[in-house]
Amino acid sequence: MTAALFLGFLVLLVAGAPLATALGLVGALVIIVKDLGAMSIATNVYSSLAKYPLLALPVFILAGMIFERVGVAAKLVAFVSALVGERRGAQGVVAILVCMFLGGISGSGPADAAAVAMVMLPSMTRQGYPKGFSSSLIAAAGSTAILIPPSIAFVIFSVLVPQVSVPALFAAGMIPGILAGLSLLVPTFIFAWKYNWGAKGSDPTVVRKSLLVTLKEASWGIAAPVIILGGLRTGAFTPTEAAVVAVFYGLFVGTVVYRTLDLTRLYRVLVDSAEISAVVMLIIACAGIFAHAGSTLGAFDALANVMLTVTSNEHLMLAMIMLLLLIAGMLLDAASVFLIFLPILVPVVNAFGWDMTWFAVLMTMNMAIGQFTPPMAVNLLVTTRVAGIGMEETVQWVLWLVLSMLGALALVAAFPQLALWLPGVLGY
Amino acid sequence: MDEHPQDKTGGNPLDQPRISIRFEEAAAAVAMALICLITFANVVVRYLTDASFAFTEEFSVFLLVVLTLVGAAGAFVRNRNIRVDYFAALMPARTQRWLEIAGLLLTVVLFLMVAWYGARFVADDWKYGTTSPGIGIPQWVYSVWLPALSLLIAGRALGRVVRLLRSGTAR
Repeated sequence: MTAALFLGFLVLLVAGAPLATALGLVGALVIIVKDLGAMSIATNVYSSLAKYPLLALPVFILAGMIFERVGVAAKLVAFVSALVGERRGAQGVVAILVCMFLGGISGSGPADAAAVAMVMLPSMTRQGYPKGFSSSLIAAAGSTAILIPPSIAFVIFSVLVPQVSVPALFAAGMIPGILAGLSLLVPTFIFAWKYNWGAKGSDPTVVRKSLLVTLKEASWGIAAPVIILGGLRTGAFTPTEAAVVAVFYGLFVGTVVYRTLDLTRLYRVLVDSAEISAVVMLIIACAGIFAHAGSTLGAFDALANVMLTVTSNEHLMLAMIMLLLLIAGMLLDAASVFLIFLPILVPVVNAFGWDMTWFAVLMTMNMAIGQFTPPMAVNLLVTTRVAGIGMEETVQWVLWLVLSMLGALALVAAFPQLALWLPGVLGY
Repeated sequence: MDEHPQDKTGGNPLDQPRISIRFEEAAAAVAMALICLITFANVVVRYLTDASFAFTEEFSVFLLVVLTLVGAAGAFVRNRNIRVDYFAALMPARTQRWLEIAGLLLTVVLFLMVAWYGARFVADDWKYGTTSPGIGIPQWVYSVWLPALSLLIAGRALGRVVRLLRSGTAR
């Protein structure tokens, strides 16, 4: 029956059935066949969703979307451009920094990548950057959003593994997220130097604005992560409350300061963020059915034991898990991968005595890399669509970026303190 | 609302149900707005007074359930729920269509099951007069929405199956 549970799910997954349906239906059928209490099919859907910590998920999605629609990205690009100036590779640096900064407001990659691509692709193209490279770079830098707090992925991880708190995970993701973003600087500088991208005067249409003017306009956006993370740090807010404060701050900036948000647009933001949240949370609900079936059968422990018999070498096991997660991350978003794999991986992590917070960061780094690894990369799909090119045009560039971020991943895997130092200092 | 949701789909008839998804959209937006307002009010009240209305938590998580089910129903209209479409996309268009139909029919089966057992769950709440732990209202006021909105999801998935089948005969 354990085999039926996993194989049934796998078949439905590959056949392209909605993930929620695949998890829920296979779980429900096993519950009925093995007589594990059919009422639990309904109660698990309700109880998987009715959790206070999960409230942070839709609200962070809403907050990120408000800042994106308000037009924060363009102001940030103007400010960082003025800061970096005109030189070889400068616009590449701007793209990376702005993506990372937006990751500090929103918690998901594709939306950030789309916003930055829309603002930056035209100017980067004028300065000689090939569209294939710009699309790759923005997709890669946008993927750091799930590492740099706030992060939807970490909220879900904490809901699934309550022993690690959301603030601890947020703190743990900070340095690896910055490292992942900065790792992209290496190929950017090498290529920009080699091909002379963005040399001074290469774009005659560039309007030089004073640093102070752009800073003044961008400061409203710059304040957002300070409010979110500061509120969490002082312990004044729960993660959900911090997200709600960010929402109201975003509404203030959108209606009073930038005046880009009216009632019609506000309604649209509410609808769109609700739908994006709902499709993620439906999977959480249906994964509840699957998890009930799997844990009652002892299926997760059984599969974990199978994994443990493959090798007792800690490093080999970690490498195998990372490879598995990277492939999964190419096919699915972080939330879905966590829901599918965590019940099996948690016993493995415990067997080796790995730190759960560190493991959460490694897992999420794999998800970030998967988001821009062709041929199935969500982020790359978004940025190439904005650029109007096919994904094959990015391959010669994006693989170097994948390699760079894998380097950052290897560093965090080798030196767990990169993830664990900050939450330790902050006392989580 | 000058921006019709239908406009964004590029006029694909598959994405346009006869019963507009305005209901799902409005309900999801209201749930989202209420979650924010209640949580924000909680923060403000906690700072101004010593009082806490933490008992509203149960209403917020109930709204989360409503948001999820209603939003997912809307997503099934356009089949925008998360799935792995990489392998299906390698198949010929005909096979892809049948795979989508099969996936949606399985969705109908699942949510009919959730609705059925959910209804029995509500019947228990009703029979035993269970009240909610925080506010103290009858529990069925919350739980009744699980079977009701599960039926909505099943209906929306079935509606898309019908549109897919129709588009096939027209071709």
